[in-house]
Amino acid sequence: MAVPCSLLTAHCSLLTAYCSLLTAYYFLLFLVFLRPGVTVGRNMLQLPSIFTHPPFQEYLKNQHALNVLLGDDGRLDANWDTFFQTYTNLGDEEIIARNNDIFRLLKENGVTYNIYGDPSGLNRPWKLDIIPFMINRTSWLHVEAGLKQRAELLNLILKDIYGDRKLIRNGLLPIELVYNHAGFLRSCSGIQLPGERQLILYSADIARAPSGQMWVVNDRTQAPSGSGYALENRTTMTRVIPELFEGIKVRHLSPYFTSLRNGLIAIAPHQNPDPRIVILTPGSNNETYFEHSFLSSHLGFTLVQGNDLVVKNNFVWLKTLGGLEKVDVIIRRVDDVYCDPVELKQDSQLGVPGLLQAIRKGNVTMANPLGSGILENPGLMPFLQSISRYFLNEDLILPTIASWWCGQPAEMNYVIEHLDALVIKKIHRSSTGSSSIDGASLTAEKRTALIERIKSNPALYVGQEKVEISYTPSLIGDNIEPRKVLFRSFLVANEDEYVAMAGGLCRTSSEPGNFLISNQLGGFSKDAWIITPEPDKLNMVSREVSEVKESNYGNMLPSHAAENLFWVGRYTERILGNARFLRTVMQFLAEGNKLKNYNNVQTERSLLVAFTHYSYCYPGFAGEDADELFADPWKELKDMLFNDNRSGGLKNNFVYFQRAIHEVRDHWSTDTWRVIRSIDEKFNEEISLFHHGHLRMLQTLDDIITSMVAFIGLNRESISREQGWIMLDMGRKIEQSLLLISMLKATMTETINPQVEYNLQQSVLMSNENLVNFRYKYRSPIQVSLVLDLMLFDPNNPRSLTYQVKRLKGHLKDLPKNHLRIKETEYERLIEKADELISSVDKAELCLTDPETRNFVALEDFLNDMGALLSGIPPVVSKAFFKHEQPARSIVGG
Amino acid sequence: MKYTISHKTAYEYFESVGVCHNIARLLPRDTATQVCISSSVKIFPEPDVLNQYVDFFGNKVIYFSIDKDHDELEVHVTSTIEKIAASILSALPVSSSTYIELEKDLNLANPESAEIRQYIFQTPMTVWNTAIHDYALQSFSKDRSLYEAARELTSRIYHDFEFKSGVTSIATPLTVVMKERKGVCQDFAHMAIACLRSVGLPVRYISGYIETISPKGKEKLVGADASHAWFSLYIPEMGWVDFDPTNNLIPGDQHITIGWGRDYADIAPLKGIILSSGSHELKVAVDVKRES
Repeated sequence: MAVPCSLLTAHCSLLTAYCSLLTAYYFLLFLVFLRPGVTVGRNMLQLPSIFTHPPFQEYLKNQHALNVLLGDDGRLDANWDTFFQTYTNLGDEEIIARNNDIFRLLKENGVTYNIYGDPSGLNRPWKLDIIPFMINRTSWLHVEAGLKQRAELLNLILKDIYGDRKLIRNGLLPIELVYNHAGFLRSCSGIQLPGERQLILYSADIARAPSGQMWVVNDRTQAPSGSGYALENRTTMTRVIPELFEGIKVRHLSPYFTSLRNGLIAIAPHQNPDPRIVILTPGSNNETYFEHSFLSSHLGFTLVQGNDLVVKNNFVWLKTLGGLEKVDVIIRRVDDVYCDPVELKQDSQLGVPGLLQAIRKGNVTMANPLGSGILENPGLMPFLQSISRYFLNEDLILPTIASWWCGQPAEMNYVIEHLDALVIKKIHRSSTGSSSIDGASLTAEKRTALIERIKSNPALYVGQEKVEISYTPSLIGDNIEPRKVLFRSFLVANEDEYVAMAGGLCRTSSEPGNFLISNQLGGFSKDAWIITPEPDKLNMVSREVSEVKESNYGNMLPSHAAENLFWVGRYTERILGNARFLRTVMQFLAEGNKLKNYNNVQTERSLLVAFTHYSYCYPGFAGEDADELFADPWKELKDMLFNDNRSGGLKNNFVYFQRAIHEVRDHWSTDTWRVIRSIDEKFNEEISLFHHGHLRMLQTLDDIITSMVAFIGLNRESISREQGWIMLDMGRKIEQSLLLISMLKATMTETINPQVEYNLQQSVLMSNENLVNFRYKYRSPIQVSLVLDLMLFDPNNPRSLTYQVKRLKGHLKDLPKNHLRIKETEYERLIEKADELISSVDKAELCLTDPETRNFVALEDFLNDMGALLSGIPPVVSKAFFKHEQPARSIVGG
Repeated sequence: MKYTISHKTAYEYFESVGVCHNIARLLPRDTATQVCISSSVKIFPEPDVLNQYVDFFGNKVIYFSIDKDHDELEVHVTSTIEKIAASILSALPVSSSTYIELEKDLNLANPESAEIRQYIFQTPMTVWNTAIHDYALQSFSKDRSLYEAARELTSRIYHDFEFKSGVTSIATPLTVVMKERKGVCQDFAHMAIACLRSVGLPVRYISGYIETISPKGKEKLVGADASHAWFSLYIPEMGWVDFDPTNNLIPGDQHITIGWGRDYADIAPLKGIILSSGSHELKVAVDVKRES
């Protein structure tokens, strides 16, 4: 899927480019930035004794880094003092241990970050540094006021650009800067959200200069990400290492989330006091998908993808298992041009056709509104000050980085003349990654080419001054080292004003010399501590976990979630069935000192062919060169087990299983995640091994089987018996039935000789964990009639076909169907017929062979009929409840 | 002069379509030279929703959606247009203003200049290369009359390019059209627009119709089977002046405007999204009839 949102990636592009410079003139800089009156040097400062501990040595070598820990009086800042006292009191070992705990907790909570273009980049664990980034009260009050002002200002600009366009008409904004920007959506012109503010969510990336000056480096106004990660960071810190908060008054994050919820309710159309709010995600491959699902469960908003929604009668509806439910507010994590293929990007599969009509009619509101990407525009920077005077009659509290928009001849000339000292940006981010260029890093050739590009389309380019960024202490391995940090803040519009999160998300560079701050490139995140001495905001760790509003998921399972739960069920059984059958086959092959007599060889072959049919690992042992494979089946079996590209292979199924799991990630408990991860780790560990002995492979299968059984057991215990459960269990029952039918067809419909048949029947029982059952129930040798009785007709055997059919029938009956048309409930007829067939079939006849072919023709017919009925159910269910079967296509007419 | 225009678009779907959302820009707007007396839209099957509004450029837009399964879709628009004084306007004295006068107009910080300036920027469908820019430079220079140069460009495109349907689609880039020297009216309009914008001129893409059955003795005009397209250049003292490179003429009584935008994408007659996995067949029939 082409996922558009590059939310966390691109924002540091400014910083990426000129990091190499830093080392070169660093020495000079640090002299410039020292505060007057402070003599920096370990000996001169009355540093606490803790700083003599080895972990700090590296950090203290860097005097510039040390500088950020000092208060205005030149002494160690009181909060850092307290922090490091606690830190040292805990002891190095304890710190390292807690750091590992943090890593483990984040991993167990499934906090991940996806990396594009890297096959192993999905679900990369999130990294959190135990040492926070601190902002003191004075500094915060300034930043907060500056951010609020900036949000107000950007809001007014947004309103104006899509409204009266006074700024353009009065010459405060050049038209080229707006109309040339890819984020200016003409079809959104004239659309206004209810309420005062158009810009609902605002994020700014802030860099702190060594002088203490805070710079806004980037504005994020489309679908700002990171607030969920910020909360997760704080929750993890308070859970794992609450001691560090002692004596430091750290502001809470929860008020922001309350404001967020209020702010979103306030923009609901038609003043609906109890709106249905959804989060629109591009899907589980998106880099910040964890956050989408985290915010969804934290705020109680349903997580949806574009094809979960439909526009009908100018309203937006959520497709749920029980029919259509009206949606009032959409928080989007999809870039704006992807949101509606009818009026915006025509080939987008991530949006909702007709969405803009519903928005235009005022029947649904979106945060942020479509078109707000126009504000992510570095070309605005040089004009902000005068616009602020114009709209607010105020000067900017947070000054902008000096910028020159090349759309003006004088500015263009300046940029070209001073290319070395500037970072060159395009006015809008390109979809193909970073568009910032460090002028000084260019070769003569590239430099000329860039100047050419600027000259031929000057309105698209901006030159920006480079800002120096200060260090902050970070725990790297066993040592505390200086790292550069970027702080992302979050604001939300409430009725009276913008509310800023008293905290934020910090990201640090992965290496000290490298200023590539990006989650895509590794590096750590940090909790941001806003220090405030207000008495009513005491440090109460436990309160940080804010109340979770009851989600209305239960009664309105989105059809997309339903579909994935259904597939999780199917893949669960597919993996389990394949693993068990494969184990049986391998065990038979591996039995030591086995006589290579005819019967054994024949059984081997039959089993290998049967497994090929069962797993659909074609051609496998059913292909033309099967004879070669029979000679040494292990290599092929290993491939069937570990090759993740082999369709039908076990690892391949596991990949699909995981994909479905992640699509509905909020359904799984922590224990369940641990089980899923253990299978993944098992596979990876085994695949990385060079040698695979037979026993090792069997052991792997045992482990996978145990884990999958644990997965099923945990679900049975932790998923409430609502629609989600029906879907999951239905998927399992369908898969179990079909697998059983296919196994019996592959092993029991042919006459070979009694010994081989006996071997195969025993394998069937083993593969279904029914050998013990059989012996217990019949106390008689294995024979066709009894095997069929147990596997097909025993109503008390949870692995029998009858049992699956009955359960399936129950589930299908429980599906909501008031909204369905008659032909859409075809699945009821199918399951009814399957039930009738299995209840009325002549059992004795099934055990008879055909006089001519000597095969079990009646059994084969019966299995085929059952297979046809049961395999007809998923498509009908899918059409009735999932409704994704038709892709959106664009048409044009002359 | 009064015209009745019938524009029928019919899709036949080979697999039934569950849902469709469409945007039609088929209702002619009023201009300095025409009044739209009436317009009616018939859609089959009956749409579940039909919204009508005016877009960013002032064009009339119809959105409609159909929620039930359907195998065909027909959109039939009938409009009656009164052309006013077009021939008189086109007989007005031609301005000799050049780029220098234009620049003065553009640099005024007023709403009018903003309106004009938006048509200078490159768009995805009017991307030019050196070949296109050089082609433009053969007619344009800073001190030449804009009208004269544009008229010349219109004529050059008419002579240098072959009208041939079926060789290009709306997805064909102009660089290819420039190389092949073949295309249809949309391509020629885009080509002219890219040329004009490459030398910094504000130019609109016009979607409309053309009366093809001419009075006896005159040549039949091209553009009968579908909607027509041409361009309009802003010239100081004259305002927006239309040019039709497909027929090498200055549009007068026989051109009926539906609306305009920066390129085809802004004023596509009909576009939409269907939920379907099958393919479809499209038939378009346009009939322009002179009433008086």
